[in-house]
Amino acid sequence: MGVPRKPFSLLSVGVLLSWLALLAAALLYAHPGLGGVQLAPSSGLVLVLQALFTALVFLHERNTAERLRGVDFIGLLRRLLLGPALLAVAGAGLHQLLLALAPGFGPDSVAHTAFYTLNVGLFVLLLARTNYAWRALVLFRGSERLRRQWVWFEVLLGATLLLRLLPYAPPIGLSSALLGVLAAYGAYLSGRQKWVAYLSRRQKIEAVLLQLAIIGVMSVFVAYFLYTKAAFRLVGPAPQNAFLLLNAFFAGFYALMGLLVTLFNLPTAGVFEQKREEILSMQRLTQLIQRGQTTTEVYQMFFDSAIQTTRADAAWLHIDAIDDEDRLDLYHRLSAEQAAPIRELLAEFNLGNLEYFNNDLVGSSFRRLQLPFGSLMVMPLGSSKRQYGNIYLLQEAAQAFDRESLSILQTFASQAVLSIENLQLIQASLHTQRVQDELKIASAVQDSLIPKNLPIDNWFEISSYAVAATEVGGDFYDFLHLPGRRLAVLIGDVSGKGVTAAFHVAQMKGIFHALMQENPLARNEREKFPVPSQFMTQANRALGRCLEKSAFITASLYIIDYEHGGFVFARAGHCHTLYYHSIKEEVSYFQTPGLGLGIIRHDGYEKHIKNQFYDYNPGDVMVIYTDGIVEARDAAQEEYGEERLQRLLEASYYLNADQIKAHILADLHEFSKGQPMHDDQTLLVIKFRSAQPETGL
Amino acid sequence: MKITQHATDTTLTLALNGELDASSSVLLDTELSKPEILRTQKVLIDCQQLNYISSAGLGVFISHLQTFQDANVKLVFFNMQEKVRNVFEILGLDSLMTIVPSEADAAAV
Repeated sequence: MGVPRKPFSLLSVGVLLSWLALLAAALLYAHPGLGGVQLAPSSGLVLVLQALFTALVFLHERNTAERLRGVDFIGLLRRLLLGPALLAVAGAGLHQLLLALAPGFGPDSVAHTAFYTLNVGLFVLLLARTNYAWRALVLFRGSERLRRQWVWFEVLLGATLLLRLLPYAPPIGLSSALLGVLAAYGAYLSGRQKWVAYLSRRQKIEAVLLQLAIIGVMSVFVAYFLYTKAAFRLVGPAPQNAFLLLNAFFAGFYALMGLLVTLFNLPTAGVFEQKREEILSMQRLTQLIQRGQTTTEVYQMFFDSAIQTTRADAAWLHIDAIDDEDRLDLYHRLSAEQAAPIRELLAEFNLGNLEYFNNDLVGSSFRRLQLPFGSLMVMPLGSSKRQYGNIYLLQEAAQAFDRESLSILQTFASQAVLSIENLQLIQASLHTQRVQDELKIASAVQDSLIPKNLPIDNWFEISSYAVAATEVGGDFYDFLHLPGRRLAVLIGDVSGKGVTAAFHVAQMKGIFHALMQENPLARNEREKFPVPSQFMTQANRALGRCLEKSAFITASLYIIDYEHGGFVFARAGHCHTLYYHSIKEEVSYFQTPGLGLGIIRHDGYEKHIKNQFYDYNPGDVMVIYTDGIVEARDAAQEEYGEERLQRLLEASYYLNADQIKAHILADLHEFSKGQPMHDDQTLLVIKFRSAQPETGL
Repeated sequence: MKITQHATDTTLTLALNGELDASSSVLLDTELSKPEILRTQKVLIDCQQLNYISSAGLGVFISHLQTFQDANVKLVFFNMQEKVRNVFEILGLDSLMTIVPSEADAAAV
């Protein structure tokens, strides 16, 4: 920031030097031989030095940084008055005082000339400062065109300074016409008074006083220069002084115009301020939401704004209690006891769903209340969604609420309702966010229920795939090693989706682990663990107590005995098992009957469930899955189907379990490409291998 | 999903048209929950236009099964498409509910 300072200080030095030169020339001109200096400058030299000084002062002011800060017009005027104006007046006053009181201070004294020259300097400074302050006001919110007009004004005024350099005086008619044209230009620019509109009522009064003072200062100087006798005139009506004359005229005329505009604006200042207040209230109402306020704060803000802008003497706001929100009553210079009878009276008039009510309390029933109010305005707060309540505004005078107040109140009311509803939306979305976060947790918990480590043995291979359609799913599968080289495999699907289904999944897994415990009372090896049909019957009984009426669970339980090369399973309404028989080289579904769990809740379920035994051979492949696989849909809404699944196994049974799974999934994904997944998908592939002797033992 | 009703003194016939999924099963549940339904002898479900049934749809029938049995109301399905019938069979519901080929068979039950 230090860079541009230098030319300014150079200019300041120039101003000072030129004034000193002017002073020296003036003193020598008026008092030849002063101080023994035998130089007699001509009057023309004095005038030229004065012109140089004036030009430097104006250039200095022109290059000074903008003095108007934002819209602080009053500050600008005040600084002008308290700075150069006060200084100049003090100079002129002191000079006059000395002239009147000091006896040796005659018009011919050296001190007089020096004082006069000093005051000329101060006056020039004041003019420059004033006119550049006016520049800020003229150009406030001005167009580029106006800016150019101003520069022309400066250039033309500056040109009049050159008049002093003319060797002869121009004809009086020409110079007068020139002056007249420039004065008219100045008067034209004085019409630019946009800044006045930005003042508040108080500021306008202050501006009037300040401008009066500035005009006063100008008048003091006119008088001073007219009546102060000097050996020569540095300021006067001569064309040589056209520059100062024009500047003084402009400074005074602009102040006068500003004064008049401000004066005429005074009566409407109140309206401007009210409008401003309304806009500010509106802003505050909208900003409340951004600051994350509560509904109560929005109501309070609305209430305050409404009272302020309608100038109500008393008011209350009533918000009905809805849902979990509390009922709210706000009172302003009114007690609940006073409000109650008014409300009762309005209720009698059945004004329940009115748009607004703006009337004078002239009805006899109102008068009977003996309240000190003459006008009442009622406005409901509501949207198409719901009604929140009413605001009641009272004024002592009759006919006090005009249409203007009514429309403002309407705007406020709708803004307040908008704010409230936006606030509710924000809260709702926060709530949704929380639910989603909780679902993520549920999803993680459920994920932990899925067996991560598949059983590994050299008698079989297992490959699995499970994806939930939503955060938490209804599909499940699990493994459990039983003593005697046996493996229990459970797969199933809970009807419905979401959290309820997920809970039943967890429950089902609990039942699985609880029922597949060794029975210590078993009389023989066979009874130690329940066979699949027993398991289903017991699970059905356990689930019947807690499953909601329309929910059910499908499941299949397989107990594979790989020591004896066989398995037993029961299908409780679950999808059929797809099986590749290596001996027959054939793929088929095990068609066994079996009812889903939770469908009949009384005894008698065991009649609906069967065990199926099968002795497997090495190379056999078992594909078990949930209906999300076979009911997956393509773009034409056709289902994937059991037949297609069967064909895929026919084409891939010779691969290992992982490859078979990959083969099926690739086809399934190709089939349902671009379609939303509307059910959980689970797929298990078990391939039995030939009993390899454990080498190395 | 569209449900059309046809009632006689002893029979109520509901014709289901479309897909019976989670949202449309609410409609069906409303129909089957009406108390007057327990005063009829038979509720016939025409499944000719029923293209799909989800587990929620099955759940509606399952949840009313016991009530109907207790009130001695017969629930009979007829004109069922093959794939819908397959869903009933896989779940084992064919052993609990009466599924017959045609309306005439249903009337004869």
